[in-house]
Amino acid sequence: MNLATQNPALRKVKFCTAFAFAVLVCAIAHAQEVNVTVSESQPDTEGAAFFNEQILPILRRRCYQCHSHESGKAKGGLVLGSRHGWEHGGADGPAIVPGKPDQSLLIEAVRYEGREMPPEEKLPDGEILLLERWVAMGAPDPRVAVRPDIDAESLWALQPIRKPAVPEVQETEWPQDEMDAFILARLEEEKLSPAGDADRHTLLRRVTFDLTGLPPTPDEIESFINDSSDHAYEKVVDRLLEARGFGDHWARHWFDLSCYADLSDITGNVLIRDAWRYRDYVIAAFNSDKPLDRFIHEQVAGDLLPFENVQQQREHIIATGFLAIGPWTLQNYIKKQLQADVIDHQIDRIGRTFLGQTISCARCHDHKFDPVPTSDYYALAGIFHSTRTTRHDGPGVWSQITHVSLPELPNAAEEFEQLTQDVNRQQQVLQTQLEELQKQERQQRLRTKVVSEQANALTFESGIDANDADREYRVSFSAGPSVWAAANQATADGDGLLLQLLRTDGTALAFHVHRSKAWTGKKDSQQFEPVSFTYTGDGTGKVLLHITASDYTGRFAGAIDNLSVSDAVTSRVLFHEDFNGCELGDVQGKQAGTGLSVYAQCEFPGWTGAGLNHSHAVSLVTTGEANIAAQIFSGPHIDPANPRVTEIRHELASMTRRLDSARPGQLQALAVKDVEQPSDSAIYRRGDFQSLGDIVPRGFLSVVPASRTYDIPPQSSGRLQLAQWLTDPQNPLTSRVLVNRIWHHLFGSGLVRSVDYFGVHGETPSHPELLDFLAVRLREDNQWSVKQTVRQMVLSRTYRMASTRNAAAAKQDPDNRLMWQMPRRRLAAESIRDAMLAASGELDSGRGGPSLGLELDGNIAGLGGKINPPTWSGKIADYIKNRRAVYLPLKRQRPEGELEILSVFDFPHPDDMIGARSRTNVATQALFLLNSPFVKQQASSLAQRVTHDEPDDERDRINRLYLLTVSRPCESDELENAIAFLDQCTPELNGDRSLAWVQLSHAMLGSNSFLFRE
Amino acid sequence: MRNPISLASSPRRDFLRSTGCGFGSLALNAMLQESAAADSDAAPAESFALREKRSHFPARAKRIIFLFMSGGPSQMDLYDYKPRLARGSGTHLPYKLPSTEVTVGMEDTRLLGPVSDFRHQGECGLYMSNLLPHTAQHVDDLCVLRAVQADSPNHPVAIRQLHTGNLFDTVPSMGSWISYGLGTENQKLPSYITILPEEGERNFSSAFLPAIHQATAIQNVGSSPDKAPIRHLTDSSLPKSVQRQRIDLIQAMNRRQLEHLESDQQMEGVIESFELAFRMQTETPRLVSFADESKETLSLYGIGEEPTDKFGRQCLLARRFAEAGVRFVQVSMAGWDHHGNIADRLRKECHVSDRPVAGLLSDLKRRGLLDETLVVWGGEFGRTPHTQILDGNRSKPGREHNHHGFTMWMAGGGVKGGMTYGATDDFGYFGVEGQVHINDLHATMLHLMGLDHERLTFEHHGRPFRLTDVAGNVVSDVLS
Repeated sequence: MNLATQNPALRKVKFCTAFAFAVLVCAIAHAQEVNVTVSESQPDTEGAAFFNEQILPILRRRCYQCHSHESGKAKGGLVLGSRHGWEHGGADGPAIVPGKPDQSLLIEAVRYEGREMPPEEKLPDGEILLLERWVAMGAPDPRVAVRPDIDAESLWALQPIRKPAVPEVQETEWPQDEMDAFILARLEEEKLSPAGDADRHTLLRRVTFDLTGLPPTPDEIESFINDSSDHAYEKVVDRLLEARGFGDHWARHWFDLSCYADLSDITGNVLIRDAWRYRDYVIAAFNSDKPLDRFIHEQVAGDLLPFENVQQQREHIIATGFLAIGPWTLQNYIKKQLQADVIDHQIDRIGRTFLGQTISCARCHDHKFDPVPTSDYYALAGIFHSTRTTRHDGPGVWSQITHVSLPELPNAAEEFEQLTQDVNRQQQVLQTQLEELQKQERQQRLRTKVVSEQANALTFESGIDANDADREYRVSFSAGPSVWAAANQATADGDGLLLQLLRTDGTALAFHVHRSKAWTGKKDSQQFEPVSFTYTGDGTGKVLLHITASDYTGRFAGAIDNLSVSDAVTSRVLFHEDFNGCELGDVQGKQAGTGLSVYAQCEFPGWTGAGLNHSHAVSLVTTGEANIAAQIFSGPHIDPANPRVTEIRHELASMTRRLDSARPGQLQALAVKDVEQPSDSAIYRRGDFQSLGDIVPRGFLSVVPASRTYDIPPQSSGRLQLAQWLTDPQNPLTSRVLVNRIWHHLFGSGLVRSVDYFGVHGETPSHPELLDFLAVRLREDNQWSVKQTVRQMVLSRTYRMASTRNAAAAKQDPDNRLMWQMPRRRLAAESIRDAMLAASGELDSGRGGPSLGLELDGNIAGLGGKINPPTWSGKIADYIKNRRAVYLPLKRQRPEGELEILSVFDFPHPDDMIGARSRTNVATQALFLLNSPFVKQQASSLAQRVTHDEPDDERDRINRLYLLTVSRPCESDELENAIAFLDQCTPELNGDRSLAWVQLSHAMLGSNSFLFRE
Repeated sequence: MRNPISLASSPRRDFLRSTGCGFGSLALNAMLQESAAADSDAAPAESFALREKRSHFPARAKRIIFLFMSGGPSQMDLYDYKPRLARGSGTHLPYKLPSTEVTVGMEDTRLLGPVSDFRHQGECGLYMSNLLPHTAQHVDDLCVLRAVQADSPNHPVAIRQLHTGNLFDTVPSMGSWISYGLGTENQKLPSYITILPEEGERNFSSAFLPAIHQATAIQNVGSSPDKAPIRHLTDSSLPKSVQRQRIDLIQAMNRRQLEHLESDQQMEGVIESFELAFRMQTETPRLVSFADESKETLSLYGIGEEPTDKFGRQCLLARRFAEAGVRFVQVSMAGWDHHGNIADRLRKECHVSDRPVAGLLSDLKRRGLLDETLVVWGGEFGRTPHTQILDGNRSKPGREHNHHGFTMWMAGGGVKGGMTYGATDDFGYFGVEGQVHINDLHATMLHLMGLDHERLTFEHHGRPFRLTDVAGNVVSDVLS
């Protein structure tokens, strides 16, 4: 075997960078359309002339077919269509070493020495000679990789922004805002007219959903409809801008770009506890109308910004979660690759979110159609190489996202003290309740004991299938004296067990007395003795195994392990315990004399009771591993008679955990920070971290204009300068991209519809002057205020247009690019969910804070040990469940379970950057709307709600239903249809009209009028 | 406004509008509309994206059944016999482990010979393990790829590569690409189905392709009616008549609104999606019921017997879906990740899967479906020729993951049977000849379906993507 020829790294590299490589393909594919790549003549030097006259024809004729952008092929990864192509070379490295023909793979290949190219036929000797001569000359190649026609001069998005004049219009009455004039002017130019104004119900529903993601309440509808003042609509807009829902909704737009999730890794559920802090930061930023430039600075370089107080310092650190949170493959065992992929993602995120550029295309080669050379990519990469995002401290394969401790607030100690007191007080109340309940339990038990005199007894209640007549069985198990509730009774030498087999009616069949050794009461000294005895069946049906302390010493506590009943003849195991699915509960009790907890409650399916185990409980407490083996008990001890006992125990434990996590000095955020020694990055040839090229000084995109230079100090990563450069007044991209995003969210599609991509192959703006007008307004007039910008847009006449059909306009402009109407669109996934909860009255107004519910029992899971990180079990706390979707925990998977509705309606995968979501219509949505438990539940609550609101008149009730779901009153034919439906359904539902009402409510939640906003 | 609609007007659309209010019989409508849809030239709404499309060139297979053996079945113990490995079993490694290999449990690793006996099978004489006696009956139909290569020894990463071609990024799965490229033959069913998925949702997602190309997961293959085969397929707590009335009401409301609007592609899309949902509700239960299968057929798959019942059901269901015109059916089976006690555990998994797999091949063949159905068998990687001991039990060693060279096989539509292609080294560790990278496998699968992997592209973020990224060569030697 020849391992040397098997270079797994090469294959790997190719694929680890597959993302970037895809670009090459596309570049190639596009090449045909845009008529490509190189300027071929710069005949100012002799070498260039030689190349153009002698070499280029050979390459074109002999090589391009398999190795060029023109042909769309890059066999072996090699492209000869540009200088860059052979410099970087193919899978085996650079194709040419300038000046050294004998060391150049290309020459080796044409000579047919080892490899043979072109494969069909060797080149004529003359051509080989020319190629050798060319390489020996130093391989002069004047072709430049970037197309001259796509530099900053020609790409519209890179043109400086100048505030355009507001155009003249004929219908001077129509515009309400200057931006309307831009829209109207274009429409007039095309001989089209804008749609009429939307009616009030439609407008209110539209603006309420667009600003807060929720429907208007019936009261809000009434108040707006009845408000005849001139400023009625303005008042609504201002109310909505101040509503907390504004931040909830607009932050979610941001999370679509920043790949927010509460969990991590490719497997989707590795626990990261502190992501929520970034979520709350973003929501607060939108609610407080943090200027966008400030918002960018904090997210890219918050840790490097000056701060005025601890609160602000914390905020700044948390803001960098923008860079720290992402779809990292933390278990990638090639750490350099992990780092390169993280950096690539960060560059991509910044490029697309703020600049509308696919910079990461340049990871492996110069961008093929946008003016982004590889050197720019690695200039940016240097900044992120100098920034720590993940760390790996072994011993396993897993890395972690960097956590940064948050500085303590001045009053942290006091607040914690306050919280401690609150929690203690609550715990005391619960403790008292618990003790009272336990007292009752004990009394209950005592009474039971009087009846049975067998308090310390175990019985297999479900019975053992081991009673065939005349068949001999062996019953065996390990038994040991152990501890019961009080855990204070050490056993003594001579304590024993009475083992009985009973018929199910309780009569005895056989018995056995077993003397066990004493339990010494010292740590880890419990001794167990396997017990066994044989029994011959009598065929009367199932038998029960019953165990009691033989002498009623009260010291037997009832733990047995490894119970089995086997057929004595064949030894086949007939019965054994199955502890799959066993759930660990509270640890309880103390081992006498040691202070260690010695048993744990546990619940397992198929058994009626909780159980306890002594042997492993010790290790449970000492190592934290849940390794419960076996435990059973029965009788009145099985469950606390009052389920409240268990509940209280859980509440107490969860309070303690909550307190622990709030302890000052241990608060952390997922955040990035500069490495100790920032440095520039080398170019990774072909994106391969093992193949280093020239070192590139840290910097930004060279083609993007700026008002000044931003020098990066050697001791700094350069993120601060990057942030400043992003918001430079002469950077034409950031303000255009961001204002276009706002437009997209309000008007259904952007003025540039490819909202994440403003490059050569992106779309051009439908209204270039309007885009620039809005960009200037955002940056200068509004000082980067989102709320101000949104306010102006929704107050415009354009926004207030109806979604009416206009056949002529539709024919002329089917995509409504000219905005002759307000496009109708389906609500976003989270709005559908939240609106259902709002309609049903179940929406919880709670917000903020951790959402993973880690204090819930068993919610932290995982493979355990030191190697694998803990994972999240997916339980969502009741107090979180009905909050708005933005507050629910997101895995790095399609949302499922409580959040399944999001996946069904095109919620983006948390790993993807999606500025414009798709809106699909597929059958799974219909099935979900018809049959999912979530919609059923909301329909049922909604029916109850409207019945409660309008108990008497069914017609009023239907009207109420319409107001709550589609935000308008019901029309008469709709009313008749609804009544007809109720009449038709009721007999099918056993004559129960309230059930028919549930179905009517359900149908409303599934209707287009509910799902769409006009 | 009541202007006639010139844009995107079609008989189907007129029909949709004219149906108007009231509770018409949706079932009848659905039937009528299906035939209307077939010849409609309307600009496709999203739900129409499933219509059958023309392939790039004549296809050799109409559909694919992918039998995904999750965990990584051991090639040396099943299909790739290595005499040198057998002779050297128990000795120290004659080769050095690459530095990138996992070191846990490798402290005293030794060569481990095949844990099963081998025998020549079929006319082609393929030397394969006795653990798969039923599959062995079909060797003359199998094209065994012995040097498949992937790029990661890490389960989730390699699984993603096997399904999407990409290690880390979110790109469409192969089934989604095929659905996108060819549409469906059956308007009542999704074009891509995964039966009891083990692969994780990102591996059957459509990513940036339209959502209709995402796999529909079959979550229950049992005979119990409590659990629907497709999520939210029905609501058993509600009388069928009421479900019917409720859909009719929703559709009536939607049509009423559409009347006011005259035309709205998105809203019509929703109406259509309800129709497809309704068709699925009626069609799926019939398809997942085995009532019309003979006893003999059930027994062929090992249904009704242990341990083959569950996987047998999965395989029979795959045949039924394939027969009904689903383009890509995946059947998954976990349990092949044998880090310890491989001798016993491999035997067990073979026992579970052998009869169902062989049953599927026989059944397809006798129905004349095998020629037009490509069946692909394999895991995300294979296993090492040397031992791994994770649990301290030296007497029952296992094998670590190995992505450098492992076995998959193809059968049916367009591939040569009774052949092997490619070879690993003397120990079965690295592919040394006829290596088939996952991209090559994908290119070949697409090719057999009549699709050129370089032409099946989708524009996303300003550039075209494809299943095989920049790589992939059709393995033409295996084409029949």
